[in-house]
Amino acid sequence: MTTAPPTDRSDTPGSDAAERSFEVHGMTCGSCAARVQRILGRQEGVADAEVNFATGMALVRLDDATTSDENLAAAVDRIGYRLAPVRVDEPRTSRADEERAAQRAWLRRIAVAWPIAAVFLIGMVAAPLSERAMAVMESTAGRVAALVLAIPVQFWAGWPFIAEAARRARWRTANMDTLIALGTLSAFGFSVVQLFAGGPLYFESAVLIIAFLVLGRWLEARAKGRAGAAIEALLELGATQARLVASDGNEHLVPIERVRVGDVVRVRPGEKVPVDGEVIDGASAVDESMLTGESMPVDKTPGTAVSGATMNASGVLTVRATAVGADSALARIVAMVERAQSGKGAAQRLADRVSAVFVPAVLVIALVTFGVWWLVLGMPVGGLTAAVSVLIIACPCALGLATPTAVMVGTGRGADLGILIKGVEILERTRDVDVVVFDKTGTLTRGEMAVTDIVAAGGTDEHALLARAATAEADSEHPIGAAITAAARSRGIDVGRPTAFTAVAGHGVRADVDDVTVWVGTRKLAAEAGLVLPEALDDAAERCERDGRTAVVTGWDGEVRGVVAVADTVKDDATAAVARLHAMGIETAMLTGDNYRTAAAIAAQVGIDRVLAEVLPDGKQDEVARLQADGRTVAMVGDGVNDAPALVQADLGIAIGSGTDVAIESSDLTLLRGDLDGVATAIELSRATERTIRQNLVWAFGYNTLAIPVAAFGLLSPIVAGAAMAFSSVSVVTNSLRLRRFGR
Amino acid sequence: MTTETIAVPEIHCDHCRTSIEGALAPLDGVARASVDIDTRQVTVDYDEATIDRDALIGAIEDQGYEVPTT
Repeated sequence: MTTAPPTDRSDTPGSDAAERSFEVHGMTCGSCAARVQRILGRQEGVADAEVNFATGMALVRLDDATTSDENLAAAVDRIGYRLAPVRVDEPRTSRADEERAAQRAWLRRIAVAWPIAAVFLIGMVAAPLSERAMAVMESTAGRVAALVLAIPVQFWAGWPFIAEAARRARWRTANMDTLIALGTLSAFGFSVVQLFAGGPLYFESAVLIIAFLVLGRWLEARAKGRAGAAIEALLELGATQARLVASDGNEHLVPIERVRVGDVVRVRPGEKVPVDGEVIDGASAVDESMLTGESMPVDKTPGTAVSGATMNASGVLTVRATAVGADSALARIVAMVERAQSGKGAAQRLADRVSAVFVPAVLVIALVTFGVWWLVLGMPVGGLTAAVSVLIIACPCALGLATPTAVMVGTGRGADLGILIKGVEILERTRDVDVVVFDKTGTLTRGEMAVTDIVAAGGTDEHALLARAATAEADSEHPIGAAITAAARSRGIDVGRPTAFTAVAGHGVRADVDDVTVWVGTRKLAAEAGLVLPEALDDAAERCERDGRTAVVTGWDGEVRGVVAVADTVKDDATAAVARLHAMGIETAMLTGDNYRTAAAIAAQVGIDRVLAEVLPDGKQDEVARLQADGRTVAMVGDGVNDAPALVQADLGIAIGSGTDVAIESSDLTLLRGDLDGVATAIELSRATERTIRQNLVWAFGYNTLAIPVAAFGLLSPIVAGAAMAFSSVSVVTNSLRLRRFGR
Repeated sequence: MTTETIAVPEIHCDHCRTSIEGALAPLDGVARASVDIDTRQVTVDYDEATIDRDALIGAIEDQGYEVPTT
């Protein structure tokens, strides 16, 4: 939960203090929530305030119940957010709804712009073919109709471009919107003058450019529109309620926001741990895979730490909260993802970068044109016309299509290949990817346990050892037990059922098999059961553990009979995938929390160049950032929640489809089939898409740039403008469609 | 005319830029205010005779940001 620390805790919120809840609108990030909270806390009569970014709610505790909602709303309004009292009967608007609303707004603009654009297109085609059509268009009524039709497109559908261009102009910068606003407003204004002067009209230029652009923006909004999704998926992981244990021992179910550091909460089996804390009573295994990607449940006993959002699997735990709200592990991951995302947002789009150079150049050309006509040729009026013509023709209609069409075809082809492409901007950067970093657990490896070694004591048959261990574990739900049972079955052993079965939490199982009591578990379990551990087996177990495998001892009749080692195993296609990346000239690296030796063993097996081992869960992002600081362009492949900040930090984040939702939402690319070979394919497809965007920009700008001299000489006609528009649009669309053949 | 750079660690996104620039720009004596999101810094060109640093910081704090004292 991104609940920022409250600014004022001096008043204890007793039961007599008035509390009010509000919805907060307009918050886009965790720091928004912190600002609103601070402003609310400063208002007179407010004891303290808590604002939750995830739920978009503010909880205000008042020490003066007469404080009016209006005062609070006005204070929040002054910093640019809106506070609304909670109404139970109204469904709340989420940020996903806001994104959908933005998409619908573009759709409405399309609905206005395209029918009108169609009228102009028909006119453009019909005029040269039919004298009647030409006559209608050239009549005064026809010309006025063109103006009337152009107004809503120019000033309603095209308003976002004008507004953005004006904002940019205030900061003396230019982007694609500047070019669009400049070109269409020039065409529109010039045509209004021509309407009275009787010259040719360029309304269709303005209308068609805007029509294509709103279409392009809508396509982009649809493809993107998920910026907040990673954060939302992260926040949904957290528990919303906690069982608070009161001093009298009673449990109360309370909203998570109410839990304070030092409070005691109870977690039942199957429930999420609500807060970060320390176990003070009980024993259980907790599934932390959502945070760490590690599939093995971790045993919790009094004194051990638990993290919020992890799943309590087996027993009841009593936990004292040590970190809540913004200090919790989950909130820190959220903050890391947010920071990484905001860093990325600063990247300029390719089309904008081109425009930033193109716009001043066009302005200079227009000025020079006017200057030469006026001062050299002594024709100021002709010069003005020529200069405006330059501005009109400089804005390429196909500019709005260059990126969206390539992305659409590229993502469509990607979907065929099991590659889900999300980040549009990111595609433009994949060209430079020169190192791919793989998360180990769950990405390079299966994230499932499998038996790797079986060492039987002298006089014990390996087959019999495995059979007894597997039967003892037949009823176990523990991943190690499942691995042993699976190994036995795969060797054709008929796994029976134990007659008595006891799971010893965190240590193993005891079961009666064929009237013999069998122990399977840790060496500690064996010692407690009074089993003798032969030295050879002790050595074998230690050797396995040094290599990062988990050694399980099995024994009966007073003696340990063998060691079975289980470990996470490398995916079958990992080696081939790495080799293919090497063939593309890309370096590979592996990121893991394991010790260096274990990591190096796996890296050597797969052929990975570089090992980044002993990385703490929250250090993955730093490792990626460090590579970037060395001038590398990094693609990161991962699957766990703790990979999310690194996925966002990386220039290209690739999630494995079988991974967590958070990783998928944080990534730019998702490999739906979960095969590692997709990494190379995805990079190649991204590069092909990026190349296509680049070529499209050349096509889009090319025809119009060629027409600039024509305009500067005062020879521009609607036919030249129309031809440039048609040729560039057709070239761009055709070029984008070539992507459909990728990988065939 | 003085140029002052103020670090505001909580600067996070475009929203923050709009808020801070919008709060500073209308103040008397402020010639130019710009927010750099990457470095989390606000750069202000202002006239010392009309406005002082504390007033600038006050305006940023009124937007709900914390400005650490350097």
